[in-house]
Parts: sequence; structure tokens; C-alpha cells
Amino acid sequence: MVDSKQQWKAWLYLSPAIILLLVFTVWPIFNTLRMAFLNGYGNMAAMGGATFDLGIQNFLKVIEYDKFIDCLKTTAILCVATVPISTTLALLIAVALNSIKPLQKTLQTIFFLPYVTNSIAIGMVFATMFNIVGYNPVERAADTWGIINNVIQFFGGEAISWINQGSTYTANIAVMIVYIVWNALPFKILILLGGLQSINKQYYDAAKVDGTPKARVLTRITIPLLSPMLAYVIITGFIGGFKEYSSIVGIFGEKMGPPDDAGRLNTMVGFVYDALEKDRQGLASAGALILFVIILIVTLFNNKVIKKHVHY
Amino acid sequence: MKVVLENLTKIFPSRDKKSGKEVVAVNDFTFEIPDGQLVGLLGPSGCGKSTTLYMISGLQKPSSGKIYFGDDDVTELSTENRGIGLVFQNYALYPHMTVQQNILFPLQNLGGKDKLSKQEMLDRAYEAARLVQIDELMDRKPSELSGGQQQRVAIARALVKMPRVLLLDEPLSNLDARLRLQTREEIRRIQKETGITTIFVTHDQEEAMSISDVIVVMKLGVVQQIGKPQDVYDDPKNLFVATFLGTPPINVLEGKVEGGKVYIGDEAVMNVNGVEDQNVYIGIRPEGIEPAADGVLTCKLNNVEVMGRDASVVSSHENSVNPVVRAIISSDIKVDTTAEAVKFNIKPHKFFLFNKDTEERVYFEVK
Amino acid sequence: MSTKTTVMQERDVKKRTLVQNIVKALGKTGTYAFLLIMALIILFPFYWMIISSLKTLPEYRQAIPTFWPREIMWSNYAKAFEEANLGNLFMNTLYVGLVSTIISLVITVLSAFAFARLEFKGKETLFGALLATMMIPGELFTITNYITVNQLGWMHTFTALIVPFLVSVFYIYLLRQNFMQIPNELYLAAKVDGTSDIKYLWKVMIPLALPTLISITILKMMGAWNSYIWPKLVANDAAHQMITNGLRNAFTDTSGQANYPVQMAAVAIVSAPLFLVFLCLRKYIMQGVSRSGIKG
Repeated sequence: MVDSKQQWKAWLYLSPAIILLLVFTVWPIFNTLRMAFLNGYGNMAAMGGATFDLGIQNFLKVIEYDKFIDCLKTTAILCVATVPISTTLALLIAVALNSIKPLQKTLQTIFFLPYVTNSIAIGMVFATMFNIVGYNPVERAADTWGIINNVIQFFGGEAISWINQGSTYTANIAVMIVYIVWNALPFKILILLGGLQSINKQYYDAAKVDGTPKARVLTRITIPLLSPMLAYVIITGFIGGFKEYSSIVGIFGEKMGPPDDAGRLNTMVGFVYDALEKDRQGLASAGALILFVIILIVTLFNNKVIKKHVHY
Repeated sequence: MKVVLENLTKIFPSRDKKSGKEVVAVNDFTFEIPDGQLVGLLGPSGCGKSTTLYMISGLQKPSSGKIYFGDDDVTELSTENRGIGLVFQNYALYPHMTVQQNILFPLQNLGGKDKLSKQEMLDRAYEAARLVQIDELMDRKPSELSGGQQQRVAIARALVKMPRVLLLDEPLSNLDARLRLQTREEIRRIQKETGITTIFVTHDQEEAMSISDVIVVMKLGVVQQIGKPQDVYDDPKNLFVATFLGTPPINVLEGKVEGGKVYIGDEAVMNVNGVEDQNVYIGIRPEGIEPAADGVLTCKLNNVEVMGRDASVVSSHENSVNPVVRAIISSDIKVDTTAEAVKFNIKPHKFFLFNKDTEERVYFEVK
Repeated sequence: MSTKTTVMQERDVKKRTLVQNIVKALGKTGTYAFLLIMALIILFPFYWMIISSLKTLPEYRQAIPTFWPREIMWSNYAKAFEEANLGNLFMNTLYVGLVSTIISLVITVLSAFAFARLEFKGKETLFGALLATMMIPGELFTITNYITVNQLGWMHTFTALIVPFLVSVFYIYLLRQNFMQIPNELYLAAKVDGTSDIKYLWKVMIPLALPTLISITILKMMGAWNSYIWPKLVANDAAHQMITNGLRNAFTDTSGQANYPVQMAAVAIVSAPLFLVFLCLRKYIMQGVSRSGIKG
């Protein structure tokens, strides 16, 4: 009696969640798969009565499309560059933070600040820091080179165009790397510091008794004991990196590139949304599935590499 | 290497900020540990024994006082420069390293002119492993070892760099009863073989008594008594030391000294000429009383527990501080278990008097 | 072993003590120096945002930058507020954020309660299936949801911004774990006393799970504040625009002639609420983030 009443109640409580999940989560999984395998599928056209053949044309089109390869390249470069840099920096900061007492809480708060920002809004701040303002055609020189260029000049370097007209792809990527690393640090520091604080202090006492140099403590004790957290941070970093989109919009705007070369920094997610908005949902679905598979492969690969190095 | 502690004191700031009371963990501890001895720091939890050990290791700094290794003042010297080996209570073996890597680890830290070749390190690691008899487990990870094996690895890791002093923090507390017996003999053997001055901390008096050359009994940060285990047992300085040492524990009864006689209730149990009249606690070791028809102390008989060689006569007395008065006797001696009461004779050298207020020992001459 | 002397013995202990203290002091100094420099780098963009937002345009455009505005232009803020129509954007975002948070909390609490306390057929299977959906990247859902919203006629409505994201499997999971820690005896005792489920939820479970609920609320609000892609797809019109989209649309020009101080003022205004919430509820945010690992 009680049992059947509980059944009935449980499904009642779950019904709102289940209905919404069916519509907005379960159905999309099937529908996206379906659209991806209908050649040239477009929703508007479908509603107009058009029919589509089953096939893999969407996937072929995505791969053949030269812009897609560029998107893939940009995404991959950003991933490969930012994950190691941000992870290493976060590790060093977390270890340093863990070793001090005064100011620890304050500094921890400061290092978390970039997390509570709007990536578009702060992207605009970074853009102004790199921006060259008021190019003066008569003297063929800028009024303001931007604070970053000012700093470079102060140390005797040469100012370059980072994000403006005539900037190089390398310069653009460099800006993105700086911004993405800045943005990625807080989460990584938080996780790694949490991990460090849960390591039994006696391992460090034991190392101290043995006169272990600081660097060796880091490489032989801290990093191995922290390896589960490092693995987590690296995998989520790669997943996030492959889905990079709004940080680029923050700096370059929706043109996804410098003014003279829109779309230069487009990413895989950007590609999917472009196709979606142009009513080419078949293409978008194929792109999203490819993205999904890449993320899956990278994650599995990472897991495999990490398994070798995560010790317990 | 002898270790000298001079007025060693450790004060912890209060955890409770409101009351602002400081905690004196170790109070004015002075002691010289002779070279090559095995010393047990013994006391109930919170007595400051671990703090003392950590101060000797250098992991904690004393609030005042000095520590000497030999003639060197090492008080200000940090842990890594003291040349000590420390075995932690839960061993602190690096979980990601094999036994061999764990033992090699301290050696790999040596640099400069102390640097060892790979082969030398390996030789020393195997020497240490053989000493503690784990040389067949070198490729295992700590998680694949039993508690006793982990303990040995921890000792090997501490010994491999040939420390001047070996420190052990509750070395047996994480082992089961059977392993405990075995391991404590092992520690004794290793210490004798290496001759390294060794200090260990324990709350288990039996453990300390069985293997130490010298024991230090502590209570609330203050040293109560130092000496050879048997000497301390036979000649406790105060009631705490008397009750803390010995299993089963000493019988304690309330009584008084009047006119050179000790009274428990109405019964005069011992002549103690020259002792002033006062209220006292009377401590009698369980092996110090035996049933006798002409006994001086009458107790209510509860039961007799026979355990092979020994028998334990359990009785009670209204003046007893403990719930029972226990006598350990040879099981050959027959006791009438149907009797209501039992009379005991008392061996004078197992009989101690303590002033009731100070709980300090009151000495008397045995006639 | 005892006969071999240790290396430390012959050395001068005093000298060693001195060297060791110097090394220690240097190490501490180095650590602090590193942390402070990193902290400055982290803080610099915020500093630059604030001083830039207070400069006049000519001062901003000077070849040699000033590090403190010579004339403080509070008027930039008023201008930014007006130019980007920030008041309207704030209201839209707040509305979407609050409505979706409240409904989402109710749905999450009910589901988590069912999974944590009630017995029904297929419970484990269903829960496992839900968790499995967490592995799929959101982009996959977005494509079909875009079509769904279109067909439901929700384009350019708040509904389109709210409904698709009401259920988060992760939050259900988080809250279920929290509910499971509450001893079942409390529930049975309540049943014996004839307390209704809803009353029990309200009186016992919710107060005990409050920290998790606060974390969810904050993360949900932050999500609304930072959402960009989905609103851009389905409701990028003036009446329904969310704050991030509005901000980005109001200042599209990256090529040089824009009024940067005003733009920075707008960015500062948009960032301020997040900062205030963070400073007040630091503990909950950091707790929530370290458990979830998702931004917003």
C-alpha cells in the first residue's frame, strides 16, 4: 500500500524535471543525430515541405569546408597553449599560497576574482589594453599604443599591432592566450589549493626530516599526491578549451577577428552557431557531433596518459 | 650520541581566544639521555610526550630551553640539519612510491660531498631493509603491505641515512595486539644492533616497560619520574606514577598513619616507625598481597579468576579507591571460594604510602 | 651502523644555523614576491578598467598613458548607462535570473527529494541515465532547442530564455547527495507524526541543505548574468536583451574611434554586481564552484 503510494508520489515530484528533460535534453540528442545524417538539412526548408536524403554529406561538407579546418586549428592551438601554461601557473600559485600564513585569505580572494567576471565584459577590458587607439594617418603613427605596448616599449621592445587592422594571426592568438590563461587561473587555483590542503601534512614533515630540497618536494611528493586534482583540472581545461567561443567575442567582437579579417579566429563552437543561424542545422549538427567526438577522444586520451601518472 | 634537554618548555597559545589561556604542553623538562639507550616517553594523552619528541626532532620549536645533541646546541637548528630519523605514528610512507623508492628517498636528498652513487644508495637501502626484514617487499607499494610491514618500512626509511638519533612516535599504536608484541621485540633488537640513541613515545606502560632502558613518565607537561623501568615500578615517586605503571593496576586504598602504624579502616596493616601521623593513600601491588589465615587486611571476597599459572583473587574493601582489590597469586595456592571474607598478608616492599593531599610518596623504613 | 659517523657532526652548528635561517628568509621573501607579482597581474585589468572609465577621451588617447585620471569623469558612468541602455538590460537580466532561479529551485528540490528519499521502480536506472546526459556538451542540445523554441513560437520572449535551462541534472545530483546525508530516521519520525512530505521538506530538509541551495542560487544568477550565446540566438531584440548581449552590441567598434572611457564605465557597471555578490557570499561561491567546476 505504502509502496504504491510512494511510487505515485515519486513520479509526481519528478514529473516537471522529466518533462523538461525529455523536451530539451533527450529529444535534442536524437534530433541532432537525425539532422546530422540528413543531407543538407535546414529547418525552414523542412517546414516548407522539403525532404532530405539520408547520408553523410553534412560531415563531408564540414570537413571539406576550409573555414572549418581553420576553426579546428585555432581551437587546437588555443587548447594546447593555454592548458599547460594555466595549469603550471595555477600549480605554482597554489603551492605558494599553501605555504604562507599571513595574507593567505586575502590573496586567495584576489586570485579568485577573474572567476566572478563576465567573460565578454572583461574581454573588452583586455581589448582596450592591447588596443591601438586613434591611428593618425598624417604622421603614420598611433596616438596611443595601448598599455601593453607601452610596457613593451618601456623595456626597450617594439610595439606591435595586437588586435587592430594589420595584426598578425600570431599576435591575435597571443592576446587570446593571455586572456584565456588569466580567465582559467581561478578555477584551477581553487581546485589545486583544495587538493593541497587535503594532503596529509606528515608527508611534508617526513620530507623535512630527510632534508628534502623544496624543488624535490614539489616534483616527488606534491605533484604525485596532487595528481588526481591535476588530472581533473587538465581534462576540464581541455574540454573548456575546445568549447572556446565567448572569450574571443569579448576581445574581437562578433566578427571573431581583427577588423580587416573577420572570422579569422572563429572556433568550432562559433562555426556551429554560424551554421545554425543560417538555417543549416544539418551542417551545425554534424559540426557539433564532430566537436563531441573530438572532446571524447581528447578526454579518453588524456585519461589514458594520466592513468599512467596518477599513482593512487 | 647523547641527547640533553635543558629546561625545555613549550607553551601553545590558547585556541579559545576569549579566555586567552595558554596551554603549557611541556614544562621545564631537563634530562640527559645517555648514548645508545632506548628511552620511552610515557604518559596519558595530553601529557606533552609527543610535543617533547617533536621538539627533539625540530619540527616544533621550544618556547624556551635548550636541546643538545652531544655537545652541539641544536635548539635553533632546523629538522633537516639535525641528522635525526623520525617514524611517524601512521608511518607517513609516500603512497605513490614503492618500498624501495621510499627507503631511497632520504638518500637521494643528500647533495654536495655527501652525495652517494646509485649503487651505494641501493646497497644502503638493502642493508636497512634487511635489518628490518623487508628486503623481499622492495617492489610493493605501501597500500599492498600490512600494518606491521609498513611500520618496518618506516623504520628502514628512518635508519637508512644513519641518523644520530632515532625518534618513534607511538610506534605500535596502529598495530593489532599480536603484532604489537612481535614488533616491540623487533624495535628492541634493531636498536641494540644499531646502537642508535632511540626515543619513543607511548601511552602504553607495558610497551614502555618491556623494551626501554629508561622510561620517562610524564603528566600534564611535567616529568614525574625518570629511571629504569623496574626501578620506577618498584619505587614510584608519587601516586600517579604508581597507578600508571603495572597491569593489573596497583590497589589503592584510603587510610591513615597513626602512632607509627598504618590503618586501613580499623585494621593496622603495617608498622611504619618514624612516619608522622597523616592521612594517606596506600598503594599495594597485586603481587604484593596474598591470602593467609592470619592476614592483616580483611576484604570481602568476590571471586577467584584462575588463568593457568596465576590466579587472581578479586575482593572488595570499603576503603578501596578502585572498585576491587586484586591479588595475583600462584594458582597452586588454593583459596576457599565459598568464604565470605578473605584475609591478606602484605609484602612490605610492594607497599607504598602517599600523602593524601600532595599525593607524594611517604617513605618509611621496612623493619 | 653506529660506528659510522654522520656528516653533520663535524660541521660548525652555528654556521649551519645561520645559513639555514638566511635560506629560509630568502625562500619566504621569494614566495611572497611571486604571489604579490601574480596578484598585481591578476588585478591589473580591473585597475585599468576603473581608471580608464574615469578619464576624459583626450586623456585616454594620450601617447603616454596616465596611471591616475587627472580629471575624474563620473559623467562617463551616466553616459554609459544611457548609451547602452543598461537600466533596461539590468531589469531584463534580473527578471530572467530570478524567475528561472526560483522555478529551477522548486523543480530541483522536488526531484532531489524523490531520488534521495522515495522508493520507486527504476530509480537507479533513471538516475544513471540523467547523469549520463551530463557528459554531452551543451552545443549539441542548443541546435535542436533553437528549432524547438522557434516552433513553439517562443522566439523573442523571456520564456525562450528561461524554460530550456530550468532543469540542471548537476544541481539535482548535488542536492540529492546533500539530502542523502540527512538521516532517514528523521523522515520516518516525521511520517509517524503524520507530517506531510512538503512540510517535512520545508521544515527539515531545506534548512539542512541551505548552503547547497544558496550555492545553486548564486551560480544560477551568475549564469543568467553571463549568458551570451543562447540569448543571442533566440532573444536578441531590445525588449528582451540580456546584459552581456546588450553590452557587446552597444560597443561593437574595436577599430579605434569609439569612446573607450564610456565603454569601460559600462563594463565596470556590469561587473560591479558580480563583485558585490562575491564579496558578500565568498564562501558559498567558492564552495559551489569547487564542487561543480562549471562557470555559471
